Amino acid sequence: MATYDLNEELKRREAALAAKKAEEGQESGEKEVALDDVSRVKVLSPGRQVFKRFIRNRLAVFGSILLISMFVFSFLGPLFYPYGQKQIFYTYDKQNVNYALAKQNTAFNGYDIADEVTAERPVVNSMNSNIKKMIAEGLDTLLVLGENGGYRIRRYGEDVYILSSGEAVPVCSTGSGTVVVGTYSQITKSIEYQAAAVEGLDEAAQENISGKSGSFTYNGVEYSFTRGAAKSYEITSELSGVSYTGKVMDKGFEQVLEDAVGNSASFEYDGADYLINRQGQRYDVYEIIADKDEKIYTCYTLDTRESGQKVSNEFRVAALLASGEDGKFSYEGKNYTIAGEEGVLEIYDADGSAYAEFTPFAVRRYTGEDTMEYNLKKAISAKIEEMQENGVKSGILVHELPQQNEDGSYTRNEDGSLVYNETEMKITQRDTGEYVINCDQINYIIDMFSSPSSKHILGTDGDGFDVMARIMYGGRISLMVGFVVVFLELFIGVIMGGLAGFYGGWVDMLIMRLVDIFYCLPSMPIMIILGAMMDAMRMDTYIRLMIMMAALGIMGWAGVARLVRGQILSLREQEFMVAAEATGIRVKDRIFRHLVPNVMPQLIVTATMGMGGVILTESTLSFLGLGVKHPLATWGTIINSVSSASAMAHYAHIWIPVGLLICVTVIAFNFVGDGLRDAYDPKSKG
Amino acid sequence: MLKYVLKRILYSILILFFVMFIIYVLMYNMPMGYIETKARELASRPGATKSYAEWLADLNAQYGMDKGVVLGYLTWLKSALVGNWGDSWAWTIPVTEEFHNTVWFSFILGFVSFIFEIIIAIPLGITAAKKQYSFTDYFTTVVSMVCISMPTFFIATILKYVFSVKLGWFDLSGMQGRDYMKLSEFGKFLDVAKHFVLPSITIIIISIGGLMRYTRTNMLEVLNADYIRTARAKGVPEKKVINYHAFRNTLIPLVTTLGGSLPGLFSGALITETLFSIRGIGYASYTSMTQADIPFIMFYLAFISILTLLGNLISDLLYAVVDPRVRLS
Repeated sequence: MATYDLNEELKRREAALAAKKAEEGQESGEKEVALDDVSRVKVLSPGRQVFKRFIRNRLAVFGSILLISMFVFSFLGPLFYPYGQKQIFYTYDKQNVNYALAKQNTAFNGYDIADEVTAERPVVNSMNSNIKKMIAEGLDTLLVLGENGGYRIRRYGEDVYILSSGEAVPVCSTGSGTVVVGTYSQITKSIEYQAAAVEGLDEAAQENISGKSGSFTYNGVEYSFTRGAAKSYEITSELSGVSYTGKVMDKGFEQVLEDAVGNSASFEYDGADYLINRQGQRYDVYEIIADKDEKIYTCYTLDTRESGQKVSNEFRVAALLASGEDGKFSYEGKNYTIAGEEGVLEIYDADGSAYAEFTPFAVRRYTGEDTMEYNLKKAISAKIEEMQENGVKSGILVHELPQQNEDGSYTRNEDGSLVYNETEMKITQRDTGEYVINCDQINYIIDMFSSPSSKHILGTDGDGFDVMARIMYGGRISLMVGFVVVFLELFIGVIMGGLAGFYGGWVDMLIMRLVDIFYCLPSMPIMIILGAMMDAMRMDTYIRLMIMMAALGIMGWAGVARLVRGQILSLREQEFMVAAEATGIRVKDRIFRHLVPNVMPQLIVTATMGMGGVILTESTLSFLGLGVKHPLATWGTIINSVSSASAMAHYAHIWIPVGLLICVTVIAFNFVGDGLRDAYDPKSKG
Repeated sequence: MLKYVLKRILYSILILFFVMFIIYVLMYNMPMGYIETKARELASRPGATKSYAEWLADLNAQYGMDKGVVLGYLTWLKSALVGNWGDSWAWTIPVTEEFHNTVWFSFILGFVSFIFEIIIAIPLGITAAKKQYSFTDYFTTVVSMVCISMPTFFIATILKYVFSVKLGWFDLSGMQGRDYMKLSEFGKFLDVAKHFVLPSITIIIISIGGLMRYTRTNMLEVLNADYIRTARAKGVPEKKVINYHAFRNTLIPLVTTLGGSLPGLFSGALITETLFSIRGIGYASYTSMTQADIPFIMFYLAFISILTLLGNLISDLLYAVVDPRVRLS
């Protein structure tokens, strides 16, 4: 179709007129001015007319400027801003750390003496409690009965104990209760004795045993029997006096045993150790022959004078063993001496200078490493002793510590030795009894919640992200979400509304009921449910974003469809549509080339206003943590990251600018939308 | 009239049927929902005799989730129609009981805000229209625009920051102060009322802008009508023109919209209640939604869908009642 441009036409007419006049000659100087002369009438195209009306509206212009600057800020800003949205910033900062831990060592550590330790695990595991029991009861030796043998723990020196292993030989049983005599087999007609054999009992059993169970008396002792498997009977007897298992001991033994039973768990007789094991009312007595030294136990920890020296367990064993003797020992070809001094065991090397010491007081770095220097350890233990004397639970110690650089490493002199400076350390006793030493150390940490500075214009947030960068990238996503969602709404809405309005009848009926349904769907709850769902599925944050946009679009098309349908219903009856039909234009073209462009003004207004609404919804969802997720920034998530009560109170410089940005963007969209509506149709309701 | 109402109600029921179906499909497909969590918990108990899969099948059967979407929906619908909404999974009490516990708080919050909204927005809108292009007009327009454009959470956060953190007048969230149990009956009432102040202000700010604009636009339209010009021409005092002729006609659209929003007072303010921890139905449903509590969510969404449809119906009916020119057909 040829376009008819009034301006061009007028210009052409004017040119023709001028040419005609020039032909006629310039006899008259006066210009004839016609009513439709260009100099009198200026005809604007509809687009320019709308534009002119739009820029006359101050609020709308203001809104447009805001929007343009917002777009420049979020889409071009990041190109010039040095930081990314997921860039985490670190800093070196003084932190009050738990530097060391000091405690009175009460746990006994065992070191292997024997090359191959054969002691059973249950015995080894209960060593600590056994030693504590010995200390509490003031015992020098303690006998322990294991599954496979007997053990002896003996005190070797102050807080030094040795565990030795050997055999446990059953000697006898006493007290009251039943003793298993043996098993009688009806096939061999004999008794397999477990206790000491009784002469003539075999015959007695053969005579008396029959049936399931019963009892008989032999030699004044009552025996009872019960049938076990395969024609065998278990014969038991009630205890009376001392029943020997093996060799019978003399009267003196029984006398000692009688005294010991019930009073102590072990006794000594004739140079041998005996252990009484109580089984209910019965006491079983074992002879413990333990002569193999297995492990040596001590609650001392070894501190070398030079810090950080590794000392092998063999050295410890040699030193501890020597401490109970003359104190001289050699290890790996070097001679040492060990001597007890004021509650510690001091080890001297061959030159007579102090090499290391066993001390009951362990001072270690909080991580458990033994890297602290000897004099620091001494100073801390001295301070703690002083605190204990004064009965206070905390104290301050000023001592030299290796000096740290700004970047956390240690400062060194030219010759490589550490530089020290005085540091204040706070020593506090915990309720569990150990002492914690706190002091300031320089650590490499995430730069959290730093205040606005030249490096970070708006500071950093709780994850060490630069807030300004987050706001820029957040604006990108928020604006993009607005555009995509509105585009989707328009796309579905125009197609559905166009079809419904154009065809009418059952198509209209069907589509409008669908519109009713979607109108009625509560969108916010559904978005929240979707968000929770995607949370549960641990969906990737970008996919979440897509799904959220799609859902918002699907939820919002009903309004657009209704609007388009209403417009089309009224346009359909107008003459130009009748003409379009008469000229035989295709249905598709009639809808999308003639009807829809006429709905465009309303659509543009709805879209502009809708964009603000979508940004609000998106930010609300993201604020609730159900929209766009953490590492990705949107304006909602930025506010969400400081929404806890304390963060909100302290970091207002983060959330207030972002909230205002959301607000300003939505206002700008609304202003522009309002302005557009007024410009398109000045008579419409505002 | 009666025929129209009946037809509308039938339509609404049809719409409701499909709306609930869509929601049910959504809920049905919710992964890691309550049942899965429960099954995992039961299967990992010491001495559990069934595996996770067995428990899952068992629980699904118990909760009627094993029938497929359509049958499951019909089952739900059948029991819902006879008033059996089931027990809430998140609140472990019958859904209707939880509803009863919470809805009144929401209603009070909504109602108080509604009253204030009307008291503030309508006079302001009318004043703005009366003096078009005056300072008052621009001020009202800008304020209403700002109110419309503010996200709820931002308003709530600002209010909390100013009145709770900086001034310390109100608690940050919750419905009771820490001395609640020590107070007398009247003191308790005042305490709860105090906790409702910030949420109500939030709701008022959100909704005031729209109503203000709506009032202004309609008043302007009425003021431009011929009968107002006539009234002025014949010398009716300006006060009477505004209050008698213009305002009454402005009331027509106002009454219809406000009447239509009456059912919405029961639906609770989802975001505001959540942000301020007001135990209203909005907060309850938010908690349920995040925990996939299907019975309660189905009930709540059915409830608000009904309210929406009811609101539309009331609004249309009021239109005919208030404006004698309108005939329903």
